[in-house]
Amino acid sequence: MKALVVDDSMTIRRIVIKALGLVGIEDTAEAADGAEALKAAQETAYDLILLDWNMPNMTGIEALRAMRQAGVGTPVVMVTTEAEKLRVIEAIKAGANDYLIKPFSPDQLAEKVKNIVGSSASTG
Amino acid sequence: MDITYINPFIEAVNNVFTTMLDVTPKRNGLKISDGGSSGMLLTSLVGLSGQISGVVALRFPPPTALNLASRMLGSEVTSLNDEVTDAVSEMVNMVAGAAKAKFAHDPPVELGLPTVVEGTGYKLRYPSKAIWLEVPFSSAAGDFTMEVTYNPKQGCS
Repeated sequence: MKALVVDDSMTIRRIVIKALGLVGIEDTAEAADGAEALKAAQETAYDLILLDWNMPNMTGIEALRAMRQAGVGTPVVMVTTEAEKLRVIEAIKAGANDYLIKPFSPDQLAEKVKNIVGSSASTG
Repeated sequence: MDITYINPFIEAVNNVFTTMLDVTPKRNGLKISDGGSSGMLLTSLVGLSGQISGVVALRFPPPTALNLASRMLGSEVTSLNDEVTDAVSEMVNMVAGAAKAKFAHDPPVELGLPTVVEGTGYKLRYPSKAIWLEVPFSSAAGDFTMEVTYNPKQGCS
């Protein structure tokens, strides 16, 4: 199981990576903006992408739309401060599989990941 | 001026600090500020735009910034380095994000990218007639303040 962690904050990437360890995901890669994430997602077959929204160069939502347009079907969990219902709907319409609002506890993130990994495993 | 708009920001500080830092901040009053400061401070700030415009700032004396960054990163940080800058940036980002969600504007208020200022005796300025509201907090990780200036667009609240 390989995950791509995308956030312009090194601190958040570190927290997310630690939380992924709680569900046994140790193989992780990092990207600091949407453009890096898009490139990485097209080059490598990740099992999961955790994606921030507000980032320089290309936002998370722009990267997500571009990934889906490019045929990248990897499950994506938005991990973001954007907490409005309209934002959640926008992300789901763009192809996000789940949504986690910052601030979050490691257990909350682990729970989301378990749900996504479980459901993607069961649907092949 | 309606100062109740500060409440979502105070709730957001409590939420962010208890969830991400395991620190329960205690609010020590509320005052009007000119954005000035004395002593060495690390200030992380982020802009809000759209149906409201303004700035949210968190101001930390260095020992508090180091304590909070160490808690957030899960390892001790002993100097004001890039890790501390990044950690305090993310704190103000999360506070502003959580607060703006409570206003529930349609379309949602936009957040800028955070900036961190480090220095002694500087003043925050915002190009408007808005005033700064300052909320001092104390916590097990040290004292800090939040300052917010906020202008609703005409016809919005």
